[in-house]
Amino acid sequence: MLFNSLTFVAFFAVVLALHYAPFGWRQKKVNLLVASYLFYAAWNPPFVVLLWISTLVDWFVAKKIHAETRIARRRALLVLSLAVNLGILGYFKYGGFLFENWAALMASLGVTYQAPSWNIILPVGISFYTFQTMAYSLDVYLRRAEPTKSFLDFALFVTFFPQLVAGPIVRPTHLVPQFETPHTANRQQLFWGLFLVTLGLFEKIVVADGFLAPAANMVYGSNDSLSFLDAWLGTLAFSGQIFSDFAGYSTTAIGVALCLGFSLPENFRFPYAAMGFSDFWRRWHISLSTWLRDYLYIPLGGNKKGPGRTYVNLMVTMLLGGLWHGASWTFVVWGGLHGLYLAVERFATRAFAGARVATTTVFKVSLALLTYFLVNLTWVFFRAQEFSSAWLMIKSMFGLSPDGKKLLPTVFVFEVTVTIAVMLLVHWKMRDRTLEDAVDSVPSWLFAVVWGVMLFAVVITQGSGSAFIYFQF
Amino acid sequence: MTENPNTTRKTPAAKVGPAAVMTALFFVASVGGWEIFWRGEQFRPSVRNSVGLWAMTRARVETEGNSVTTMIGSSRTLFDFNLESWEDETGQVPIQLALEGTSPVPFLSDLANDSAFSSLLVVGVVPPLFFFPGGDFRLEALEHYYSETPAQWLAQRISMPFEKVLAFYHFDTALPTVLKRQTWWPTREGVEFAPRDVRKLVDLRKTRQGDMWLRVDKDTAYAELAQSIWLDIIERPPPPIPPEVARAGLDTLMMTVASHVEAIRSRGGEVVFVRLPSRDRFREIENIATPRVPFWDRLLVETNAVGIHFEDFEELQNVSIPEWSHISSRDTYEFTRHLIDILRNEFEARGIQRAELYR
Repeated sequence: MLFNSLTFVAFFAVVLALHYAPFGWRQKKVNLLVASYLFYAAWNPPFVVLLWISTLVDWFVAKKIHAETRIARRRALLVLSLAVNLGILGYFKYGGFLFENWAALMASLGVTYQAPSWNIILPVGISFYTFQTMAYSLDVYLRRAEPTKSFLDFALFVTFFPQLVAGPIVRPTHLVPQFETPHTANRQQLFWGLFLVTLGLFEKIVVADGFLAPAANMVYGSNDSLSFLDAWLGTLAFSGQIFSDFAGYSTTAIGVALCLGFSLPENFRFPYAAMGFSDFWRRWHISLSTWLRDYLYIPLGGNKKGPGRTYVNLMVTMLLGGLWHGASWTFVVWGGLHGLYLAVERFATRAFAGARVATTTVFKVSLALLTYFLVNLTWVFFRAQEFSSAWLMIKSMFGLSPDGKKLLPTVFVFEVTVTIAVMLLVHWKMRDRTLEDAVDSVPSWLFAVVWGVMLFAVVITQGSGSAFIYFQF
Repeated sequence: MTENPNTTRKTPAAKVGPAAVMTALFFVASVGGWEIFWRGEQFRPSVRNSVGLWAMTRARVETEGNSVTTMIGSSRTLFDFNLESWEDETGQVPIQLALEGTSPVPFLSDLANDSAFSSLLVVGVVPPLFFFPGGDFRLEALEHYYSETPAQWLAQRISMPFEKVLAFYHFDTALPTVLKRQTWWPTREGVEFAPRDVRKLVDLRKTRQGDMWLRVDKDTAYAELAQSIWLDIIERPPPPIPPEVARAGLDTLMMTVASHVEAIRSRGGEVVFVRLPSRDRFREIENIATPRVPFWDRLLVETNAVGIHFEDFEELQNVSIPEWSHISSRDTYEFTRHLIDILRNEFEARGIQRAELYR
């Protein structure tokens, strides 16, 4: 079910009514669990079975891991949990990719191998809930947390509908305790939650789908060399689209959960004002970057095993982070570029530690602009369907296609320029602030007008009901 | 596990409630103003021409496809047939599956492959769309029908009551569409010419009966705008296709269509082709690009199907076509009645009596 649909509006109204009806806490949790399964089944009912498999396996395995003292048995149980979760993920998401690459490898060795056709529907949000349940087994294995006492609470943790299909990826220690005691929103939380829902839908429906997607789709749908301006506008449009689409989902999810009285962690903090790449990853898809840090980078040794190994760990983490997004080498390159940027930044930070120039405003602004420029280069590989079109785009963006085609009509040039300029200004102004602080700093009437304008824009944009980009991951 | 106090979500210190009330008032006023504005522009509440509505209509084939006439084609089929008139004449509301800017051939293929369909199929032929590739403007409707999720199914049913009361809840009034269609945008030098969007031409009913929008009929300037947009589209030079490739494409098309007609016929169904009226420059270009003998006449020969060409019947020409391509809603009732008469005669001349055409 999509947040940006009338079905969700009706669904959420019913869920809210049930949550505030005079039922006991256990009954309310059952309601939320059933609602969460319906939310998922509304897309494709049979795939609910995958949620059940993940839930049952991790529930029983985590209990066994906790009770087991022998290291080898604990490890074997963890491997079982990971194998089931990653096996499902691998089958649905990476099966075709693996076969294709195997066939290519065999062909390079002169062996003819015909990869089987792999027309399998990718279960929506599978990468998100797989990582979420894996975090539970890993936390129990690493003795960071004890197993959940209630199966109902655990099933709800795996399935909780606001963040089920596109995050934020929530840790068990964050969400499960909230299910243990009755939670409902007070009036302030309810209204703030509704504001966040409006903001999230505004980002998705108006900014991402309404103003930026048409230009990005037009530019990235072209197979021609483009003019410098068109290539940049298309890429900037995509950079804004992917942010507004994904942050829009997270913000709506946080708002929906808050209306029900639950807290979800922040997933974005104005990332296009980042100064450097470690800063960027503290602001972009925070729940994934912290997951990768805690369950991949640190277990690999993090920065504790010398500089050389640190760079390797960074690169491995980011390459796998890229692959998490999709079964394509273009995503791997996207991750690899981020790994490279992080490694270079780490090297430069150590080499020029204490340099005075680093504290000047000019340097900070320049660093932010450089970061944004380099992030945009990575988006080319994220968005392009294949390397040939990505290279074509990069060439155009560096002015190496003097006869590049002009594609975008004036209206799209205007929409992208204004939207991206406003977005960058907002990110810059909000860099060290929170939304809550910003709202406190303006008069109530102004906040109401901004909220009203966003709500009005959502309704009159109408929306195409298009899926969120991150659903495919 | 114990709850971490750091996980409690922060809210603004100031009360949000009063702002929410002000927001609600602002929202009601602004949406009300927007609705009034569009009603002032002669928009009236009408059913949205959505893929969800199309899927609802397509689903009728599964239960009524053995007895009820079904229509496929492009916008002329959607606008020119009057379903009320058809119902008055035959006692049946046809299953209207035509989609604007879209070739009916994939839909013919879909019905030919659906064993539930064994009735009369009316195929509207707009020659440039039917005989050449590229008429895929709304083809996604077919994919939507087969992949519709339960959530999409429900969304369509929740949407329809709003469509019946809100004039602004319409694809043509969506904010990005309105912005894009403004005339003040200067042409960007060097950008390849692209035809302007076709503006609103029709109000739709739940049955997918299309009624020409009153403004097209009454407002000459608007009708002329629609004509100028048709010129954008129809006067574009066609893509350079070598003649032998075009010939082979046409041969394949004829074979495909004939095999689909045969498949439907083998189940007791029948197919008729209808060439609906156009006029002035639109008709001229259609006749130049797709002369009757090698296209229309050949289609009828290869399929051995009944074909009704408006040029052959005086009673089908006596209609108003304000923007050169679609019949005014004032004339569609009589037009449809005449067409049914002609169809009955054509079938009777072949010694066939199709029950779908009689009460």
